[in-house]
Amino acid sequence: MGASNNVKYAYIVARVRAMKSKLIPRDMYPKILNMEIPEITRFIEESEYKKDVDELAKKYKGTELIEHAMSQNLALTYRKLIEVSQNEANFLITEYLRFWDIWNIKTMLRGKFSGASEEDIVEHLVAAGQLSYRDLMELVKIGTVEGVIGALSRTPYYPALEGYKGDLAEIENALDKWYYAKRIEAAIQTGNKLFLKFLRTEIDLKNLKMLFRMKRAGMEREDIMKLIIPGGMELKEADLNRLASLPLNEFVRALEEFSYWNAIADVSSDLSSLINIEIRLDKYGLEYAARISYYYPLSILPILDYILSKKIEVDNLRIIVHGKETKLPEEIIKAHLVM
Amino acid sequence: MVDPSQAGMVALGAGIAVGLAGIGAGMGEQAIGAAAVGAMAEDEKFFGKGLLMTVIPESIAIFGLVVSLILLFVF
Repeated sequence: MGASNNVKYAYIVARVRAMKSKLIPRDMYPKILNMEIPEITRFIEESEYKKDVDELAKKYKGTELIEHAMSQNLALTYRKLIEVSQNEANFLITEYLRFWDIWNIKTMLRGKFSGASEEDIVEHLVAAGQLSYRDLMELVKIGTVEGVIGALSRTPYYPALEGYKGDLAEIENALDKWYYAKRIEAAIQTGNKLFLKFLRTEIDLKNLKMLFRMKRAGMEREDIMKLIIPGGMELKEADLNRLASLPLNEFVRALEEFSYWNAIADVSSDLSSLINIEIRLDKYGLEYAARISYYYPLSILPILDYILSKKIEVDNLRIIVHGKETKLPEEIIKAHLVM
Repeated sequence: MVDPSQAGMVALGAGIAVGLAGIGAGMGEQAIGAAAVGAMAEDEKFFGKGLLMTVIPESIAIFGLVVSLILLFVF
């Protein structure tokens, strides 16, 4: 990496590192788990989410307030990253954060498909991508799935959506494939090999999760291969083809030859629930991002590491709040946390 | 003492020493300065540390200055 590249990333990386230091430390989660809902609310109100909680306090109450405050904070944090970055970093962050556009489109289509209310859909939207909060609010008002797809005809996401024939899973998968194909294109366009490496590992983890789910559901190889996202790091197409054709037990054993095995080895025997495996894979992704961001400190990686860490912080807080609200036992909530 | 006919070369050497050292220090400081400003934008507490880190390459400029002073006043 040249000297000029180091300079390019110095500002944004130092800023992101300072932001990461304000995230809730890992050892804080057990303490939060011991708190009751009012205490958790107070803890969140006094943390980095204070401004968002204060802003939304008039509109919402209780856990709904926390939920909205966290979504707003996440969206504003990601938007800030786009605003304070320049050139290549700005382009790559913008492209990476299109994940949230995909997320929002999927949420909206699922909501419309199942007839959810506008409020319910809005609660799960995070305006961190290129579709602004105002765009999303207009989309939510549209009544049907076809209407939402039609309204997105001028966005780059339309090619993935236009083939909709009543099967939501099909276009959700098309959206995922489109997202990763475009990100790989962006990485190749900028020549940023580190971004490409990170992305390809992410694809591997996503494919692995998908394989576990599909194998457990007893799906056939042809059907599984239709859902697989191409372009992974270790799991090439031939590997995926082979893994998809194996029965569940042999599939799990065949994973031993990949580096991801270490992350799931001790939980791989219990396939009654995939939560443990998925949480381990998420944790692997988080640790991988942190590790390689230390290898390449002045690159896009510390920024991606922060984006991932922030998302996981919000996910963890949401799980704790919802778990406590529904009075789930502490062990179950803890099992769902990535830390 | 330097021969009066060579005095110009000494002055030139002194100038190059300060100039190149200054450029070197500047190159070193650009990334550190950018990072310091970035960290400070998030947390004002980084002002002291950031300032300290930014001026560390400045020692190279001082080395250049010392060399030029030696050239001008010792020889």
